[in-house]
Amino acid sequence: MKKSKIATAVATLALSAIVLSGCSAGGSDGAVTLDFWSWAPNTQELVDVWNEENPDIQVRYTDAGGGKDSSAKLLTASRAGNAPDIAAVEYPTLPSLIVADVPLEITDYVSDVTANYADGTLALTTFDGHVMGLPQDVGPMALIYRSDLLAEWGIPVPTTWDEFRTAAAAVREANPDAYIASLPADQWAFYAGVATQAGAEWWSVEDGTWTVGIADEASLEVADFFEGLVADDLISTEPILTPEWNAKANRGEYISWPSALWAPGVIEGVAPETIGNWSMSPFPQWTAGDTGVANQGGSSVIVTKDSEHPEQAAEFVKWLNASDAGAELLINVQNAYPATTAGQESAINNAPPSLMPDQADYYSLAATIASNTIPVTWGPNVNVAESAFTDELQRAIANGTPWRDAFIAVQKTVVDDMTDVGFDITNK
Amino acid sequence: MTATPATTAATRPRSEATPARTEASRPRKRPRSRTRFAPYMFVGPAVVLFVLFMLLPIIYAAYISFTTYKLESGGIFGTQVQVFAGFKNYIAVFQDQALLTGFGNLALYSIIAVPLTLGLALLFALLLDTPGVRATRFAQTAIFIPYAVPGVIAALLWGFMYLPSTSPFSYITEALGWGTIPFLEQSGIYGSIGNIAIWGGVGFNMIIIYTSLRSIPAEIYEAASLDGANEAQIAWRIKVPLVVPALILTGIFSVIGALQLYSEPTTLKPMTDVISQTWVPLMTIYRNAFLTDDLPGAAALSVVLALGTVALSALVLWLSGRRNKGAQS
Amino acid sequence: MTAVAVRERANLHTRKGKTWPTVILMIGALYCLVPVIWVFAAMTKSPSELFTTFSFLPGSGALDNLGDLFSYGGGQYGMWAANSLLYAGVGGVVSTFISTMAGYGLAKYEFKGRSLIFYSILGGVLIPGITLAIPQYLLLSQANMAGGVLSVLLPLIISPFGIYLSRVYASAAVPQDTIEAARLDGASEWGIFLRIGLPMMLPGMVTVFMLQFIGIWNNFLLPFIMLSDQNSYPLTVGLYTLLSKGSGTPALYSVAITGAAISIIPLIALMLFLQRFWRLDLLSGGVKG
Repeated sequence: MKKSKIATAVATLALSAIVLSGCSAGGSDGAVTLDFWSWAPNTQELVDVWNEENPDIQVRYTDAGGGKDSSAKLLTASRAGNAPDIAAVEYPTLPSLIVADVPLEITDYVSDVTANYADGTLALTTFDGHVMGLPQDVGPMALIYRSDLLAEWGIPVPTTWDEFRTAAAAVREANPDAYIASLPADQWAFYAGVATQAGAEWWSVEDGTWTVGIADEASLEVADFFEGLVADDLISTEPILTPEWNAKANRGEYISWPSALWAPGVIEGVAPETIGNWSMSPFPQWTAGDTGVANQGGSSVIVTKDSEHPEQAAEFVKWLNASDAGAELLINVQNAYPATTAGQESAINNAPPSLMPDQADYYSLAATIASNTIPVTWGPNVNVAESAFTDELQRAIANGTPWRDAFIAVQKTVVDDMTDVGFDITNK
Repeated sequence: MTATPATTAATRPRSEATPARTEASRPRKRPRSRTRFAPYMFVGPAVVLFVLFMLLPIIYAAYISFTTYKLESGGIFGTQVQVFAGFKNYIAVFQDQALLTGFGNLALYSIIAVPLTLGLALLFALLLDTPGVRATRFAQTAIFIPYAVPGVIAALLWGFMYLPSTSPFSYITEALGWGTIPFLEQSGIYGSIGNIAIWGGVGFNMIIIYTSLRSIPAEIYEAASLDGANEAQIAWRIKVPLVVPALILTGIFSVIGALQLYSEPTTLKPMTDVISQTWVPLMTIYRNAFLTDDLPGAAALSVVLALGTVALSALVLWLSGRRNKGAQS
Repeated sequence: MTAVAVRERANLHTRKGKTWPTVILMIGALYCLVPVIWVFAAMTKSPSELFTTFSFLPGSGALDNLGDLFSYGGGQYGMWAANSLLYAGVGGVVSTFISTMAGYGLAKYEFKGRSLIFYSILGGVLIPGITLAIPQYLLLSQANMAGGVLSVLLPLIISPFGIYLSRVYASAAVPQDTIEAARLDGASEWGIFLRIGLPMMLPGMVTVFMLQFIGIWNNFLLPFIMLSDQNSYPLTVGLYTLLSKGSGTPALYSVAITGAAISIIPLIALMLFLQRFWRLDLLSGGVKG
């Protein structure tokens, strides 16, 4: 008698557990709540719009700190099984997160929106045909510069890097306190971008075998070029966006910021009195007549393997990154340049960024630039490379040793690290 | 527990003489077993918390330090798994050139920061204790206030005061025609970071030494000044030797704090290009743990650093024990 | 160890002395106050004035900055401040109580393992916070507690320094004879602690509480690792996120500086308030022979 009572109790419990779990998975009795980590400004506004329109899929947003901190926390949380459902991830960091088994493959969930992206853009989050995230915004490299000062000093806007050098010298002549730009050692993304533009492939993979090209000749020539600029005191190497840099930008002692399309919002934040004095033009090229540029910055959004509601999470990601409504919000609320083709085209109708209110063709120029981006393959240990690069280049600048050697040292560190972990590499 | 009326002073010796029989026959607890059990009750919570949040994590960190990540096939690029790695991480620690530089930076910094913090703390404490000095309350409070400012914020504030374009000090020197002060360049960086630590630490150490001074009986001074000693001599010959124990205490704290230097160089790092990612050992640990995803390496370095700190503190204690035979920790 | 009576040297202080000790002390005080003055001056500057005007000149943006600060993220600064108060206040009180208990037990009883426990706990100060933080996070995640208030409170409650201070103070301030007398009267150990030991140790406990409060309030690394919900951040982490927004977004210097300035005020107020209760002579008592 006792046994059957126990059996009944157990059976009832088991049954109710199944029923309850079935209920929660389907979300039929209540809304599904998803956790979303990002750092872009004003993301809460975007999330609020979604939450209003989707009462059964509610998204809870958390500012998890800037790009690097965010991915570090994501990694730690994933190791603990605690990762959020959805997270923003910078493009270079995505491969290392894949190796750490963080993102969920969403190829099937997003097959209906892949056409919204140019092939080169989608390649940022697709590996071997597996879509691991959706691009949110892109940062095609461009030159943001003080058009008023260049005009005043009669210096033509540089279209090639050789012209950039000439302009740099002219700036130094016109105002001994001013530099055309500062390119410090921690601008890893910038150097990766210009090296890519010169034809170097810092990582490439074929059939699972990697090749590391940080010390390719094209890359080393890039190093030589910028080392020459520093040696002739034509550019500065102090860190950017510090109080020091901001003060100088305010005073007109930095004439340009070679970066990407998201730069105007940043400059406006720290030098609001210079509004109206800046313009944007295509990034200098290594060979006159070329149009290709790399991306600097920009992020994608992934669904993590820890998510218990991947389908709903993918729905949100698709809305945020691949829909027209999402693109509108990205441009207007976050000052980001959307990754979708439609988004970029609709941006053309927007007024230019408030930093350059008179540059009416800003967004159509941007669309042209964006359509010519060179796809980049990032390796699985970008963080190691970036860390080594920053330290090596810093040392080279401080000691006056050749930048070539710094790049070669970084190559060695990256190759050794990948070999150590067990990757198949062609360089030895 | 209720009081037992039987345990009066008269009866206690007798009951202690025959513990077994009385414990068995009386249901109420005896004071002796009460005092045996009670201390564990008092230290219990602290011990539990210590085990859970200090001992276990250290053991876990040590365990991690003997593993590493290797690639296994499967997935798009393969996936990382944690495997046992023996002493690989520890060997890497001792072969790391950048780490050696980090310890060098730490040493240079400590030579500036530790003596100056203690020296200034001692000086201010002695000054506070000088007869005829005014505004002691204000000075005491003002000097202690930096302790209340978090390290991250302090470094940010001082960063602004160091950068040439926003620094009031460089503003003045420039106006005088001397150019800007190289706070955040290679020549000045150790002093600059040391300054932040000194600024934050003098107050706390000053208070420790000062209260030690205040408890010295006045008669000792009266005897000396009757003999014709002036304030400075009294301070040097009498007060300082008497506060040596407090100096040792603050010394050990300062050494431990110096070895764990982290937030000041990290906060200043974006503002200058002379601070690398591995400028001090703790930054290397942070980089390994959070930036380059080498948690086992970070764990190994932490273990080495902790052991080194123990050794150094033991050395300081031993040396001071030899100098001051009466000193107790 | 017996408590050393502090003698008043009133007659020495009324004697006329030289002025240079006061002058040097004032210079020291000024040195310590300069950054504090700076941050309050910087708080009044608008973003464009921040990088263009002389450091100590007040600017015109104080009200705007305050407005930006309190409206940032829909009132997050207020939440951060409340969180800091929660962690430091509750954490400080609980930590003080547990440290006092432990210090009392270590000082007033002879028992097996006393030295082992004391020196092990003291060894805790040698471990840097970074080393502990990640394993603590991983362990708490196993227990499904990471990200909650407890995950920040519990690790910070254990305070080796507080236990050390409490032990020293218990030895000095609670005479063994009083305890023995109370035992003879039949009081329980716990009762003795509550009714006799605790009141005698109160001045020392204030010191421990103040140091704990400041320590928890200023702690950055542990809450940074443990918490992912920005609404649970304390002030240190919140202010940090204002400054490190990654590429593409400028650091919100003005908001961060205003936030930093406001956050210092309660700590200074607390210190000034508790000053009269300070008994740091317990530290010196601890190191005397």
